Amino acid sequence: MAPTSEHEPLGPPDEQRSPALTRRGFLSKGAATIAGVSAVAAALSPLRNLDPADRPTLEKLLQKHYKEMTPEDKQRVLERIARQVEARYHVRPDVQDPPPLKGVEFVYALNISRCIGCRKCVYACVKENNPSRAPEIQYIRVLQMEKGSIDVEGSNHHYDPPQVPEHDSFYMPVQCHQCSKPPCVKVCPVEATWQEPDGITVIDYDWCIGCRYCEAACPYWARRFNFAEPQVPAEELNPDMAYLSNRPRTKGVMEKCTYCLHRVRRGRMPACVEVCPTGSRKFGNVLDPDSEVSYILREKRVYILKQDIGTLPRFFYYFDERGSRYHEPIAPVGPGGRT
Amino acid sequence: MRPFLVPVTLLLLAGVLWSQRWPFHSPVVVPPAAPAWASDPATVRHPTLRPDLKLASYTYRCSTCHNLFGPPPDSAPTARSPHGIVLKHGINARCLNCHHPTNRDAFVDDWGREIPYNEPYRVCAKCHGPVYRDWLHGAHGRTNGYWNTEMGPRERRRCVECHDPHQPPFPPMRVAPPPLTLRMGKQATQMERPEVRNPLQIYRQPAGERAAAERASGSVAPESETGKVK
Repeated sequence: MAPTSEHEPLGPPDEQRSPALTRRGFLSKGAATIAGVSAVAAALSPLRNLDPADRPTLEKLLQKHYKEMTPEDKQRVLERIARQVEARYHVRPDVQDPPPLKGVEFVYALNISRCIGCRKCVYACVKENNPSRAPEIQYIRVLQMEKGSIDVEGSNHHYDPPQVPEHDSFYMPVQCHQCSKPPCVKVCPVEATWQEPDGITVIDYDWCIGCRYCEAACPYWARRFNFAEPQVPAEELNPDMAYLSNRPRTKGVMEKCTYCLHRVRRGRMPACVEVCPTGSRKFGNVLDPDSEVSYILREKRVYILKQDIGTLPRFFYYFDERGSRYHEPIAPVGPGGRT
Repeated sequence: MRPFLVPVTLLLLAGVLWSQRWPFHSPVVVPPAAPAWASDPATVRHPTLRPDLKLASYTYRCSTCHNLFGPPPDSAPTARSPHGIVLKHGINARCLNCHHPTNRDAFVDDWGREIPYNEPYRVCAKCHGPVYRDWLHGAHGRTNGYWNTEMGPRERRRCVECHDPHQPPFPPMRVAPPPLTLRMGKQATQMERPEVRNPLQIYRQPAGERAAAERASGSVAPESETGKVK
């Protein structure tokens, strides 16, 4: 307060004083501050509906980038993921981090002459990889096109006839092409996605910030974003999980096909290959000259989707010189069809 | 009152936000559960690969009857088989092209020698050379199990596990449900108002019709003609 004295005139009148010092200013600003803080708290109040299992933990906040983790760090992280999955789904998962195999480069080949468009690969993939069921996330899209041209722009995702194949159509499943020059990796601002030595492009779901640049960059529309909290029924959860592939994701991160990394790094086929009823899908190590895919790349007519953009995909479509899909069905197709 | 305008406004805002009067309505559709058969990796056919006939819980060898009755002199394409077999194999319309003329428990190769029942691909290879070559190298037909045979067994599926030798074209199949993903599926707003067309959903239209529609309307197809809109 200003000192009062008989020798000196009084201090400046109230109107000219610094407002910070006035009682009125102090009260109104203090009230505004308190009200502002409570407004912010109220705006954040939907967080009170958050499932306790989904609250971010200090452990997760302090987690390092996948490539900087020591084996002990990795073990701790896998343990944490297993705990979280168990708390949420009441299923004890087997979370692993299988390393890439030496001398292996995975390549996929798909016979368009034989694919009948039954979409079984789509659902085998969903069953294997624990993507969200609602909103639905699927890694494989099956395009229906007219025979005689590859008109991707005019293709149809939504065909639903009683039976496939329709005689004037052919079908082209599209999924992640695991490019050798992946545009999605190039655009990632935080290095949350990268290419592994065996050719699989993976995502660290704990590092992804959900900017969706990679989704925009992908020429094959192979990346999927979790716009909402992923819903997976506990009884449909696949407990065989890997850090880089099918462990449960959270809202706001990208995901994609990893050629079923947790299976193929242990020598197994991807789920889509196993389920294909026609044997159109082929998978193997291209560095092995005796593998099926090596033979296909050497001997068959191969088509690369969007070859001109230079992404060098590890996914090849191939054709037969002449196949049954070029015939009209010899057997008459009844209402129920033959089984 | 005037100096307290800001805090009062903020408090009102806080009250409104806290009450959550405008809850978030998700546009997400809950799709129906995927059918179990859609992810079943079983083969289309389950042949026994044995010359067996199961009748009333007893298994007969083919030769049990056929040695008794003797083989027919030649088989006509119209012959009605007692086993309910309908032969629709193109120009290959003679039973004895594949089946051994005297030994009913075997197939026959080009030199009249026997091929055992568990090697049916050798019968098919008599005519389908290029496909047999592709199958040997794995470019045709199903492969299950392990891509790396050092880590586990690999299983090549044989011809008759997908093709019925008497009606060989691959049978038409049911189709699993189309996508209902956020980008590609019908969403809640669209379920309520079906006249709103999702531009991300492209429906196929024969090329001729599309060209005609574009000519008729000046490069933009009218909505009524955009194909199989459901």
